[in-house]
Amino acid sequence: MGRGGARDGAAAAPPWHSLPDEVLEHAFSFLPAAADRGAAAAVCHGWLGAERRSRRRLAVANCYAAAPRDAVDRFPSVRAAEVKGKPHFADFGLVPPAWGAEAAPWVAAAADGWPLLEELSFKRMVVTDECLEMIASSFRNFQVLRLVSCEGFSTAGLAAITEGCRNLRELDLQENYIEDCSSHWLSYFPESFTSLETLNFSCLEGEVNFAVLERLVSRCRNLKTLKLNNAIPLDKVASLLRKAPQLVELGTGKFSAEYHSDLFAKLEAAFAGCKSLRRLSGAWDAVPDYLPAFYCVCEGLTSLNLSYATVRGPELIKFISRCKNLQQLWVMDLIEDHGLAVVAGSCSKLQELRVFPSDPFGAGQVLLTERGLVDVSASCPMLESVLYFCGQMTNEALITIAKNRPNFTCFRLCILEPRTPDYVTRESLDAGFSAIVESCKGLRRLSVSGLLTDLVFKSIGANGNCLEMLSIAFAGNSDLGLHYILSGCKTLKKLEIRDCPFGNKPLLANAAKLETMRSLWMSSCSLTLGACRQLAEKMPRLTVEIMNDPGRTCPVESLPDDSPVETLYVYRTIAGPRSDTPDYVQIV
Amino acid sequence: MELELGLAPPNDAGSCGKRRSAEAFGVKKPTLPLFLRDDDDDGDHGNGEDDTGDARDCEISMGNKRKRLVGWPPVKSAHRPRSNSHVKVKMEGVPIGRKVDLSRHASYHQLHHTLRLMFPSTSHHGDPYAVTYEDVDGDWVLVGDVPWEDFVRSAKRLKILLV
Repeated sequence: MGRGGARDGAAAAPPWHSLPDEVLEHAFSFLPAAADRGAAAAVCHGWLGAERRSRRRLAVANCYAAAPRDAVDRFPSVRAAEVKGKPHFADFGLVPPAWGAEAAPWVAAAADGWPLLEELSFKRMVVTDECLEMIASSFRNFQVLRLVSCEGFSTAGLAAITEGCRNLRELDLQENYIEDCSSHWLSYFPESFTSLETLNFSCLEGEVNFAVLERLVSRCRNLKTLKLNNAIPLDKVASLLRKAPQLVELGTGKFSAEYHSDLFAKLEAAFAGCKSLRRLSGAWDAVPDYLPAFYCVCEGLTSLNLSYATVRGPELIKFISRCKNLQQLWVMDLIEDHGLAVVAGSCSKLQELRVFPSDPFGAGQVLLTERGLVDVSASCPMLESVLYFCGQMTNEALITIAKNRPNFTCFRLCILEPRTPDYVTRESLDAGFSAIVESCKGLRRLSVSGLLTDLVFKSIGANGNCLEMLSIAFAGNSDLGLHYILSGCKTLKKLEIRDCPFGNKPLLANAAKLETMRSLWMSSCSLTLGACRQLAEKMPRLTVEIMNDPGRTCPVESLPDDSPVETLYVYRTIAGPRSDTPDYVQIV
Repeated sequence: MELELGLAPPNDAGSCGKRRSAEAFGVKKPTLPLFLRDDDDDGDHGNGEDDTGDARDCEISMGNKRKRLVGWPPVKSAHRPRSNSHVKVKMEGVPIGRKVDLSRHASYHQLHHTLRLMFPSTSHHGDPYAVTYEDVDGDWVLVGDVPWEDFVRSAKRLKILLV
């Protein structure tokens, strides 16, 4: 390269296209991000082959986008795989039971093709005990199992994992539904087993043998993350902490106990020993009197998850105000505006704030308004991710927030009552949300709510140039709204819409756009069957799924074109239509 | 024309969504009078083309109550306090009962779907049935009158009766 002049034949560098594969693979190992590896793979045939053969981490964002066997064949060296199943709205009950997203085909394919697999992660999928048994027996160096929002397995399946995975480092169970078979799964870890670094069983409803847990914690000196479930009372937490002062992340069990000064002293002493504790969470129906026991760890905390905690009042606020290095705060709206004002003043390093509704279905008065969010946005310069449930909002507040925080990457606002206007001007919130997308040029995720017309979508379509995920509910007035989104938003990957007056025309007019996206969900909109049929015909690489109300098993072929469609779920796939649909799902 | 919510038995294919055909076959769809449609909106889903008088009764009785929307606000079930919500279900004439976890359902819709899976009505096809529950006071009440969340909290067990 540019040494000017003389060509020394023997030392001439080989042209790029004839570099040996090992060199390419080594170079690619410096590209951890999947997007970069994908870009490298697209350069030429040689790079495609080298990249795919050396790929170590695979993320399958939609389990139906490709067949498991094809994925395993294409990327034979994978050591860590993550597969996601059901659409996001399944989290809120919009997807009936038995929809699909079975993990079994993926586990079977992995067992065949990836014997050296070390990490497996499933999200929103059906994982059975048989799957867990197969995982335990198929991968001799299996180290990390992460199950998020899954169902279909029991503690018996967990026992297979704890018994069979001799090199297990992480068992991370987040928000799963787990059948309690009273199997002493924890006891199946052999006494010689010491490699555990992460143990999270916070979503488990049943009891665990505390003596076994204590012994496990004592001998696993590398344990960094321990998240307990509700069955573990406060005094037991104290004794666990004494056994594991090296913990970095702790999820407490049940935190509601009558105040006893000796228990308080025990806790305080136990926490004092935890110099490395950085992340704290737990189901705190907390008696506020115990919060001061945590004071010694506050300064070191970077993450605090109180989203299950019904604690409120001055003790809560005093506690949070001591957490000067907090980067992530999840809390209930019980913190109220004045609590958030204190957060604004104390937590200058805050990056992510989530405020959940304590009474989502009640008509109760809550003292959390738009002011809390305005204060935090004004005083926390590193704030980039927000999830905020509240009862009221104004355009002025949103415009202020947008001006304060152009660095937002994720902005999700949920005004509890659908179609709520600006409570001062009674106008729509178009202006406010438009300000957000105009100001936050790096916005990747957006959820809108309140009273919104098509105009806000014009703004989002035009300005959402980094937007990857958009959630819309009870908004818009016509097809135009959807058209603005689909014809704009250049980088959109996931679009989920419910209860909006969007119809067939924008869907058909922007059919090609859908192939550039991962998926589209539309429920309770104004779609009809004929348009879905046309879409399916026009776009063979999309799967067009119609979902009827369960209980209605009518074959879709017999219905006329103008039949309304309750739920549409469209996604791109190279695997063709899936064969495991339940009776209430039809692929058009 | 709607894709409706009747409880037509699986082999009643001819009457799908087309009320006229149903009447032609002389089959009155056994729409459960208390089948609360949680996501019923005021919208234009043809109340003129109403299924049966029963469904209309349902909507009238619903009129006074606050409508519950399925899946709204968008909070995960993990963020709602979950008590032990497994309840026993018995069906009249069926000796063996079942258990259903109410907290795993988000609406009356989904519950009815699960019940249909649990008690396939092969021996009772065409017969309308009513789902009842025992509430905290020990009274047996027809399912569907109260908002879903309240029902989950108060239902102790279910009984399916042939009407």
